[in-house]
Amino acid sequence: MTGRKEDAVDGSSPGTFRVGIDIGGTFTDFTVIGDDGSVSLWKQATTSDDPSRAIAEGLEWVAAGLRLKTPEFLERVSLLVHGTTAGTNAVIQRNGPKVGLLATEGFRDILYFRDAFKPERFNIHLEHPGGFVERNLRLGAVERIAPDGEVVTPLDEASVRAAAETFRAEGVRAVAVAFLWSVVNPAHERRAAEILREELGDVDVLCSSDILPEVGEWERTSSTVLSAYILPVIKAYMRKVEDHLSGLGLAHPLLIMQINGGCASVDEVLRRPVNAVHSGPAAAPAAAAWYARELGEDDLITVDMGGTSLDVCVIVGGQAGMSRKLQVESQPIGVPGVDVHSIGAGGGSIAWVDNGGALRVGPRSAGATPGPAAYGAGGTEPTVTDAHVALGRLAPEAFLGGQRKLHDDRSRDAVERAVGEPLGLDLIAAAGGILRVVNANMVGAVRAVSVERGIDPRGFTLVCGGGAGGLHAASLARAIGMKRVLIPREAGTFCAFGMTVTDVRHDHSRALHAVSSDERFEEVDAAFAEMEAEARERLEASGFGPDQIEIQRSVDARYVGQVHEITIPVPPAEAYGPTQMREIEERFNAEHRRHFTYAREGLPIEFLHWRVTGVGRIPETRQPAPARGDGRALVPAGTRGVWFEEVDAVVETAVHWMEALSPGDRISGPAIVQSSTTTIAVNPGDVLSVLDNGSYAIDVDIESAAAAQLTTTTTTGANR
Amino acid sequence: MSATQTDPVLFSVLLGRFNSIVNEMTLTLEYSAWTSILALNRDFSCAIYDAEPRQLCMYDALPSHTASLQLVLREIARTFEGDIHEGDVFACNSPYRWNSHVGDLVTVAPVFVDGRHLFWSVTKGHQMDTGATVPSSVSAVVQNVWQEGLHIPPLKLYDRGVKRDDVFDLYLSNVRYREHSEGDLLAQLGSVEKGRERLVELVREFGADVVTSYAEQMLAYSDRRMSEEIAAVPDGEYLGEGWVDTDGYDAFDIPIKVKVTVDGEQVRIDLDGSGAQARGGVNGSYATTQAAASIPFMQYIDPDIPHNDGCLRHIECYAPEGTIVNARFPAATSAATIVPSDAIQDTVNKAMAAALPSRVPAGGARCGNTPQLAGVDARTGEPWGVMLFNGTGGAGGTEGADGWPLVESIGAAGGVKAQPVEQLELLYPIRIERMEIETDSMGFGAFNGGPGVRCEVRPIAGEMECITFGDNYANPPHGVLGGTPGIGGGMYVEQAADGSRAFFTATAHVVVREGDLLVGVSTGGGGYGNPIERDAERVRRDVRDGLVSRTAARALFGVVLSDDPDPVLDAEATAALRAELAAVERPLVDPQEPGAATWLEETRREGDRYLVNPKGVVVGDDD
Repeated sequence: MTGRKEDAVDGSSPGTFRVGIDIGGTFTDFTVIGDDGSVSLWKQATTSDDPSRAIAEGLEWVAAGLRLKTPEFLERVSLLVHGTTAGTNAVIQRNGPKVGLLATEGFRDILYFRDAFKPERFNIHLEHPGGFVERNLRLGAVERIAPDGEVVTPLDEASVRAAAETFRAEGVRAVAVAFLWSVVNPAHERRAAEILREELGDVDVLCSSDILPEVGEWERTSSTVLSAYILPVIKAYMRKVEDHLSGLGLAHPLLIMQINGGCASVDEVLRRPVNAVHSGPAAAPAAAAWYARELGEDDLITVDMGGTSLDVCVIVGGQAGMSRKLQVESQPIGVPGVDVHSIGAGGGSIAWVDNGGALRVGPRSAGATPGPAAYGAGGTEPTVTDAHVALGRLAPEAFLGGQRKLHDDRSRDAVERAVGEPLGLDLIAAAGGILRVVNANMVGAVRAVSVERGIDPRGFTLVCGGGAGGLHAASLARAIGMKRVLIPREAGTFCAFGMTVTDVRHDHSRALHAVSSDERFEEVDAAFAEMEAEARERLEASGFGPDQIEIQRSVDARYVGQVHEITIPVPPAEAYGPTQMREIEERFNAEHRRHFTYAREGLPIEFLHWRVTGVGRIPETRQPAPARGDGRALVPAGTRGVWFEEVDAVVETAVHWMEALSPGDRISGPAIVQSSTTTIAVNPGDVLSVLDNGSYAIDVDIESAAAAQLTTTTTTGANR
Repeated sequence: MSATQTDPVLFSVLLGRFNSIVNEMTLTLEYSAWTSILALNRDFSCAIYDAEPRQLCMYDALPSHTASLQLVLREIARTFEGDIHEGDVFACNSPYRWNSHVGDLVTVAPVFVDGRHLFWSVTKGHQMDTGATVPSSVSAVVQNVWQEGLHIPPLKLYDRGVKRDDVFDLYLSNVRYREHSEGDLLAQLGSVEKGRERLVELVREFGADVVTSYAEQMLAYSDRRMSEEIAAVPDGEYLGEGWVDTDGYDAFDIPIKVKVTVDGEQVRIDLDGSGAQARGGVNGSYATTQAAASIPFMQYIDPDIPHNDGCLRHIECYAPEGTIVNARFPAATSAATIVPSDAIQDTVNKAMAAALPSRVPAGGARCGNTPQLAGVDARTGEPWGVMLFNGTGGAGGTEGADGWPLVESIGAAGGVKAQPVEQLELLYPIRIERMEIETDSMGFGAFNGGPGVRCEVRPIAGEMECITFGDNYANPPHGVLGGTPGIGGGMYVEQAADGSRAFFTATAHVVVREGDLLVGVSTGGGGYGNPIERDAERVRRDVRDGLVSRTAARALFGVVLSDDPDPVLDAEATAALRAELAAVERPLVDPQEPGAATWLEETRREGDRYLVNPKGVVVGDDD
């Protein structure tokens, strides 16, 4: 068992709790928020053979911390949101069940053909990524529907039954049915599914028109196959957790975190299983959006830096960016997902010198085993963590509350041997170089989701989660020109916290071709009305009242004849006509100009998919105001020599323990602020302040940043 | 600044920034272009050059563009010497002004900071139409520069920030699908502008002297690594021979001859002895030929080496004028980026097979099944046109990897996308009736070629012109190091009325009547290594999955299987058969003679017609 708790409340007082449970590779994180604003954080070692065991054990510890028995605690839980890796892991480890695909005859190879794109043109040795259905289980049904929904070839039921025979003989556990143009006429898919269920009994059968009713057969088929692949796995798992928790006394339904950044009931997730992919990381933006409201700042960039990867997400106007281009294991997911951009840059990323003499960091990671050289667990290659240790930025004795001793001598050896010697750099220059390169990679990742999409990040606040985030946050902000950094108190269990403040969310879409120069839009009006009614009905069924339900409309639009669409919000209206269309055209032109530098005003716009998002707002939570400090001058716990990129030198630096700080305290850099789960580097010129809710803000001195940059370029010499 | 003064960290930072700028240019063009050839097929390249101009950075771009762009940029700079200003944007598409072919339009802006010309922000994009005599920007039918479309010498689209509306108008008045062509041009200019803006920001952030001196170091770095790579190739002269199917008229199996001389850190490729200049549009321009000769070496080296002028300067090319590899004005070079470029690349690979056995790929599809389709939609009266990438051929096998399917051509190197079937049917009056792997279409080897595809298209509202401009029907992708060739493949029209079929060459212009079916069977890539060395379990799965027939598994792979749908491997019989097959010597390169494809012969039935280089023949009226 491993654990940690903060601000434990006395469970004997009445009140309810919200719980977020996020399963990661190493730890299962718990965040518990009381309705009085109290917060408990807990980390339980993940039990990968049966993840539900860690949930049960962790809940027991959390309840005990509140001086409650598990059933007493669960009775008072008003919301329990779970982020699970069950779906993602089945896909990544490719250990899911055997699935079949029934496609339109002649098109069974669509998953293999993909979009015909082979990446890395100069790498002729790259292997094809394969897929999740072997070709002998990709079968064709004789049928065909035209783009207008008309039946060209009626469904040949005998061909479906023949396919069922093969699926039965091969022992498939789930079947995806994905026909061409089922988005405009799902009749053939539905009938085929009916026959398959009849023939195959308890095998799960999923239709593409239910999973992703959108034009584009590759994405739709892939989304359906991924759903079929994970459904048997997540169904068993979620039902088990659900039964277990209700057996222990959980009064409310278990909610599952979805890829779209909202949560949904188990039943809803099992209707469209692909939504359970990337369930955990999708909660980070929810946490950030909560902070956005709390701080009154709408524009944030979140970075969550763990051991192997950096996850970056942009929040504009309080909303996380969404993408429909996400992939898992090179397979398109299709449904809208929180646009989390990941790169291989974490504490465990390995630094190396390529054979042309350039210093590189990652994407290979030392992971948890053997881990950085400093762990003394057999790792000999220098990692980002080792660079921090060598530069005095991470205290050997304070790591994970002293649970893991860091060997600073091993870090120094590794850095010198693998980077210093080949490049002719001394230890400080070599370790500093590692940090500068990884910071540059991180800057690239942030730029990829901001400037490369036409978003200027300079007015944004950088929110840093994860154990390693605090050491890079301020330098990253400075390099991008961001003035403010926020490091939440819950940084260590960031996603689990996000789950306690997320909303319930369902996405609906309808493929319906229309052009803005049309006069009338009856079909669109009807589609919106139907989708909204369905969204409301499902949210009401989950217990939301009318004032808690929010409906958002949007559409995929492009100039007539253009190929790619952009999704723009649509103003609500009972009946769309020229007035609304002019407004939509204006919005489209503005967005197009922002992304691509130009617009073609006056050209009509065509629409492909109309979208409705139904959101069930979870009531706001509040956070306690810990006692403010008494105004005494802060006395650091000690000092040590620490290297900072901004001055490219080791300077004597004050070290503070987080536990000793109170709201209102301010610390000027250079300083190190450390706790058992995270360390924050406060750069020279920057000021850290403790906020009323216990989180930390850094005001970044970007004015002198340009000067610092120039100093860097002229004084940091390679071969001094 | 000398190498010893370089800060390795800042070096990595700036290298990453150049890459991200070019990536942003690429996304801008891809996502805002009008026609599928840019927006999906990604037949374009974005790059940054220094003032000289030397290539500094490209990102996931088309090798046939980026290995030759410096030539046309130099021509633009030469033409406007003394008249290059901030706010200018230039264009050029003429292969006789050192561009690749008339279909590729170069748009380029000089990047100035504080009055200093530091960089060029460049985008080259393949236009769907050039105003040629046939509705295709690529065609083997055209016989001279006036038939292949509007030739644009270096000119200014913007002069010191002022748009030249008259020039835009002149251009757009000479091409089909004006709205779409204008959209594509705007997307290209948007991409160039994105690059310019970001480069100015970069220089403002780090200072012009720092950025330019590190740019110099980027070239030196690639130069150093490229030198090491070439030095590791044994010095010597290496010979290869390949064949282009036809000139579009009356010449067949036109030879491509290659002599590669590796001398220390330098490579020279000499194409002397290649066939005479073609009558049709399948001639190479100097730009495409020197690119095609260079690309194989860019693929032999560590893919991690940044591709820039530091690499390119190690390869030189000689292409005698007046031949199919370097045509003389006014010969048409309409298809130059594919024919003869793909055959040149393949021939270099053949030449190097003995010296670099683990690096060379087997032969790949040479654009045999990428027809331009066009017509008038009978329902609306609107003209339409699309280049179809849904039935293209496979790549050759390489050490460690089977080839990918649908790579279209060797030059595209897999970086082109196909349109979704549903999008095609939404936009054009056609129905796609099949798009499926063709059994035994690939070359066999320890690593197989990527499979070919059977793709069937039916025009449903009005007749459909089909213009092909490829190669490889008669001279299939070669197998290497004991691997076998791909099938070659082909195309035919099947008439709905009586089921009769008309096959045609890879350089054809036919008209398909409404309701008839256009069928393409593309070749798979060639096989790499002796098939008896392929993992027997993989062969078993290939048979189970219908990629390879039982007959081929036994005859060529030496794998003996049971007759079950999920066959069982007979390990003992397999070992014995493989020992027997090991005695059969397999050539280094297969085939060694022209005209080796067998698909047509094996597929043709009695009564089928065969149209040799048809020019606008309506199938059904061809008897």
